[in-house]
Amino acid sequence: MNAKKGKQWQRLRTASQVLFSILFFFLLLISGRIAVESLPHTGAFFYIDPLNLWVNALAGPFLRPFLLALVPLVLTLVLGRFFCGWICPFGALQQFFTWLGSRRVKKKIASHHGALRWKYILLIVLLVASLFATQWLGWLDPFSLLTRSSSVTLFPGLNFLLQHALESGANSQSLGSRIIKPLYDFSRAWLLSGTQRTFLLSFVIGAIFFGLLLLNLYRRRFFCNYLCPLGALYGWLAKYSLFRLHVNPNCTQCNACAGHCTYYGGPFTDYQKSECLVCMNCVKDCPVAAIDVRWQLPKAGQVPALAPRRRQILSAVGCGLVAAALPQIAAGKKTKGHPFIRPPGAAAEKDFLKKCIRCGACMQACPTNAIQPALLQAGLDGLWTPLLVPSCGYCEYECVRCTRVCPTHALASLALEEKKQFKIGTAVINRSTCYTYADGYNCGVCEEHCPVPEKAIRLREVELYNFRGKLKKVKQVYVVPDLCIGCGICENVCPRTDAPAIVVGAEEEQREAFY
Amino acid sequence: MPMKRRTFVKNGLLFSSALTLPSLLPGQNKTSGPLVAQVQGDSPYEIAKRAIAMIGGMDKIVSRTDVVMVKPNIGWNRTVEQAACTNPEVLRAVIELAFAAGAKKVVVMDHTCHTAEDCYERSGIAAMAKKAGAEVRYCDENRLVSHDFHGDYLGKWPVFRDFLEVDKFINVPILKHHGSAGLTIAMKNLYGILGGNRGKLHGDMGENIADLANGFSNHLVLVDAFRVLTRNGPIGGRLSDVELRKTVIATTHIMHADVAAAALFGMNPGQLEFLQAAFNRKMGEIETARIPIQSLSI
Repeated sequence: MNAKKGKQWQRLRTASQVLFSILFFFLLLISGRIAVESLPHTGAFFYIDPLNLWVNALAGPFLRPFLLALVPLVLTLVLGRFFCGWICPFGALQQFFTWLGSRRVKKKIASHHGALRWKYILLIVLLVASLFATQWLGWLDPFSLLTRSSSVTLFPGLNFLLQHALESGANSQSLGSRIIKPLYDFSRAWLLSGTQRTFLLSFVIGAIFFGLLLLNLYRRRFFCNYLCPLGALYGWLAKYSLFRLHVNPNCTQCNACAGHCTYYGGPFTDYQKSECLVCMNCVKDCPVAAIDVRWQLPKAGQVPALAPRRRQILSAVGCGLVAAALPQIAAGKKTKGHPFIRPPGAAAEKDFLKKCIRCGACMQACPTNAIQPALLQAGLDGLWTPLLVPSCGYCEYECVRCTRVCPTHALASLALEEKKQFKIGTAVINRSTCYTYADGYNCGVCEEHCPVPEKAIRLREVELYNFRGKLKKVKQVYVVPDLCIGCGICENVCPRTDAPAIVVGAEEEQREAFY
Repeated sequence: MPMKRRTFVKNGLLFSSALTLPSLLPGQNKTSGPLVAQVQGDSPYEIAKRAIAMIGGMDKIVSRTDVVMVKPNIGWNRTVEQAACTNPEVLRAVIELAFAAGAKKVVVMDHTCHTAEDCYERSGIAAMAKKAGAEVRYCDENRLVSHDFHGDYLGKWPVFRDFLEVDKFINVPILKHHGSAGLTIAMKNLYGILGGNRGKLHGDMGENIADLANGFSNHLVLVDAFRVLTRNGPIGGRLSDVELRKTVIATTHIMHADVAAAALFGMNPGQLEFLQAAFNRKMGEIETARIPIQSLSI
């Protein structure tokens, strides 16, 4: 194959990457904006992810769409790691940052086979841990990682910048505002979220995300080469793929093919089918058309150079067992109660943690910004799982978006009428701070906002001594626990500025176990 | 002989005070203030148009090249049938009449309680307002300015600039039950121009509502009482709490609009704290008998 043809393939690959990235970000962006009754969403990308197929097969009811993940698995046996090079949107981002850093990355590096093995070891650790109910695959799975990072840092960050840039322009009286105003209106309608979204400790997720991107300036496609568990799975299969690059006798041994190879190998010096992302850079770079694509069965007895060594596998399994056990023996697993509530449809905590892949799609979809990533509230194995935090937002009565976008049904898909009955928790009034108890004056903001038609928060007229010692008639608020669904709007709107005088706790939360 | 200045002043005072005397006498059912039109009918659009015509037409209110703010109640993520937000058909009538009177621009806007996008959409107001040619605007925290309402309870409070920077302000509330205020009509609807921690204004709510309405001028008030949420307001949700009253009330006097609407709801206006507070501020009459109400059924 000559360089011209190689260039064409490379262009096609770039186009494919751009296309899939746009599709990914578009679907994610709109998931929180419009009615999602029958909308395809980022779930489409999760369904073609074999790691999520694995997670889904391990716990709870099996979801058939995940069988789609068999398609890329089978295709990998034919095409090699095409998925990483052509489809994965996170891979595309890595590629972009690699390109940004291509001027400063040394062309030649010492053998890094050891580092390339990390990802296989990581995969084994995570798979073993997941067998024992410690579900951490989502931390590194590229789709989960990208969805989570986009929802929690990338989109809110861009939103902040865009909103500030356009708003000041659109509000000014200058001539420029005529140009900026339509831009602002368009963005307001399609891109910006109504109110700026904020997330608990978003900078941690952001630091990891941007750190991973910046590492590409140090090594090409750092995440894909060294860390990605999905890449490891595909790499392991790609060893046996039909696709291979063949160096023909035209070769002058110039090693130009290693010049832009994503794993610094190239077909001439160090060809690794498990690491080749089918990016076609080498074919383009070859000055003498010495690289051909061959389709052949892997030769018998061919020892893949990059398999993790036996001791590494054993250590990985050991690490997986440790990782599996440690969070499960933390005291939090047994102590009574928990200081948080989950979004509607969440399965019983134990099952929820097995099913949730920490992708944060629900956080992007939630219109009120109520769903927040956990840090350690839900234990070590609950890191980045969704919490419903009423002081940030409330569960909108007329909305089921989070349950619709959850790709794994860790939040069970609920019909609107079901969700309106679904009890997330129960509101409790703090009588030492509520105005209508402690200060003896009227308020009733929580009663006003309570969305339950029969009113789970009600007013009763009582006489009490206010803080001046005067007997006063006050419309006091009280909760009807049986009617309360725990949506948290009362906590969200409570006008007290120190801490809400009504809070929703997990009491009577309706969360079913998968038996 | 020319009259002495002293005599002139004395007589002038005497005569003019004599003229005002009858109005001070009790039992005199003399009404005061601008006309309040109360129209009943099957089409919310038609009765809104008729009510505005009865009080002199939109031409009297909106001048050519005016920028007009139409402020409905879009507070909640609720449908028309649930009657928590202003009826879009009533709104359409107002917008069309404003344009017909020569308005340069009509803006529809409210500071919602639920997520703004959801409320604007589900209430049907955004779609209707756009169709009628109005600009649908969302509240933007960066556009808050401090406004002085000069009240004893409500002084300075953040207000969205958009509501202040218009030529005409048309208040189009919906009449409905309200847990803490008793009812929410036109005066309470003005909470929607406010930013900040509005919950804090629920303490002495009646006094706050009165100060708010007293410190802000409305050029027209049109109360939508087509569907009325009679219980579990202001958010409602249950259709069995909604009653068809098929009425709108139009006037330029905000307090009288509320008094008339309260009476229509079936409440004694004098028992509503915010109307009592408004009466104490001499904003207007609190008895329907003292207000020139003209009813019509079409």
